[in-house]
Amino acid sequence: MVDLTKEKIIEALEGVKLDDGMSIVEKRIVSEIVIANGKVYFAIDAGDEDPQKFEPTCRLAERVIGQLEGVSSVGVTVTAERQNGQPHPEHKPAPQAGGGNGQPAAGAGPKSQEIPGVTHIIAVASGKGGVGKSTTSVNLALALKELGLKVGILDADVYGPSMPRLLGINDEPKMNDKDEIIALEAYGIKVMSMGFMVAEGTPVVWRGPMVMSALGQMMQKVTWAPLDVLVVDMPPGTGDVQLTIAQQTPLAGAVIVSTPQDLALIDARKGMNMFGQVNVPILGIIENMSYFLCPSCGEQADIFGHGGAREEALKIGTEFLGEVPLHMDIRETSDSGRPIVATSRDSKEAQIYLDIAKKVKERIGTQGHHAGFSSPNIVIE
Amino acid sequence: MSEKDKLEQNIPTEIRLDKSKEKLIVSFQSGETFDFTAEFLRVLSPSAEVKGHSEESRKLQYGKSGVIITSVEPVGNYAIRIEFSDGHNTGFYSWVYLHELGLNKDEYWDTYLSELEMAGKSR
Repeated sequence: MVDLTKEKIIEALEGVKLDDGMSIVEKRIVSEIVIANGKVYFAIDAGDEDPQKFEPTCRLAERVIGQLEGVSSVGVTVTAERQNGQPHPEHKPAPQAGGGNGQPAAGAGPKSQEIPGVTHIIAVASGKGGVGKSTTSVNLALALKELGLKVGILDADVYGPSMPRLLGINDEPKMNDKDEIIALEAYGIKVMSMGFMVAEGTPVVWRGPMVMSALGQMMQKVTWAPLDVLVVDMPPGTGDVQLTIAQQTPLAGAVIVSTPQDLALIDARKGMNMFGQVNVPILGIIENMSYFLCPSCGEQADIFGHGGAREEALKIGTEFLGEVPLHMDIRETSDSGRPIVATSRDSKEAQIYLDIAKKVKERIGTQGHHAGFSSPNIVIE
Repeated sequence: MSEKDKLEQNIPTEIRLDKSKEKLIVSFQSGETFDFTAEFLRVLSPSAEVKGHSEESRKLQYGKSGVIITSVEPVGNYAIRIEFSDGHNTGFYSWVYLHELGLNKDEYWDTYLSELEMAGKSR
């Protein structure tokens, strides 16, 4: 196979011209180009122009790159960031009620979109990294599936997408004839990951608008339906990207994962405040790495202190969903792509996740997106 | 106040755009209903373009008496985005902000009118 390089791609993009005859490369509106196993991904920056104007250019660029030797798939998105805040007079979205199935227009302005055929979207978040958020997401998703729900998991952790590894997926997503991405499946749940868009270990700088553009595709253009619950594994922390996702995704609620340490809990509180600001209900807190169960003698040791999350949950009046021990089996099964809930369903640890999932299921049933916390009816007369 | 109480406050049950597109009627769970003219919402847009990033950089809006609302869209679970006929569409009106505007509507309007007068501008 020929070596696919950024230079080759840029060379090819020099042939993609805009109306004024200048190429998108000359205009310097091509983002960082990411190449991973024959997949090419980049964005065209619409600046403060109407992103819709760039759609044909985008499609042309896709065709041009798709013809290059060694390219298996191409993803081009339009990003826009309005610098001077001027509105686009030519872009007038039709009035729509209830946030229905509006056309996703990347960067054309904030939109709240439900995913057709998906009942509840819940976020799994943490105030800081390294608390086991992704392992928790996977096992929670699998436990919800065990409870009889149709479940999908969307790995939105742009900083460290890990779902392919946690679920032992080596395939790459394919497109169907309707130009939708066919969600991958593992252990009976549907899976999509930002990891499929970027090479493992490649640092990518993500800004809010870029994330929403990519995430918008992951939500609207993937064959999720029908699902009862879509679990979104959030990037850790409370920055621009996280806030953007929390603001613009119609979340039924958020599950916060924290270790029992004070420091982690302070960050967890920040996470909860972030969701609180945008009216996303907190479904509850999970204390991860809660205590250490010695694999040889079974003795319990409270390595990080124990019960901090339970106290914190009580203090702020939110539900405590459960405590997951620091256990070799959870770590090993996670690292080898055989999550414990799917592969050792009868273990004590899997049972803990199942209990947590029951509480989450109850909570989204009673206070989810369709019960009281939902957005108001918007009526256009 | 627990997280839950905070969330249960001030969430509108219905947001209705009048046929004339000049009036938005917002009903809250508490039973309160407020109606706002398009002009009122336009000149009090919470957008940074209007409010600026500090009190000094706030821009007085004027000449908006004829605007109508061209679209209302939900933003997540906490706000709506309103687009006006003059193209302005960058204001996110959170439930809290709408409730605040409703409770103090007259005061906000009077302040606006006196600011206009002082600046020598007209509606």
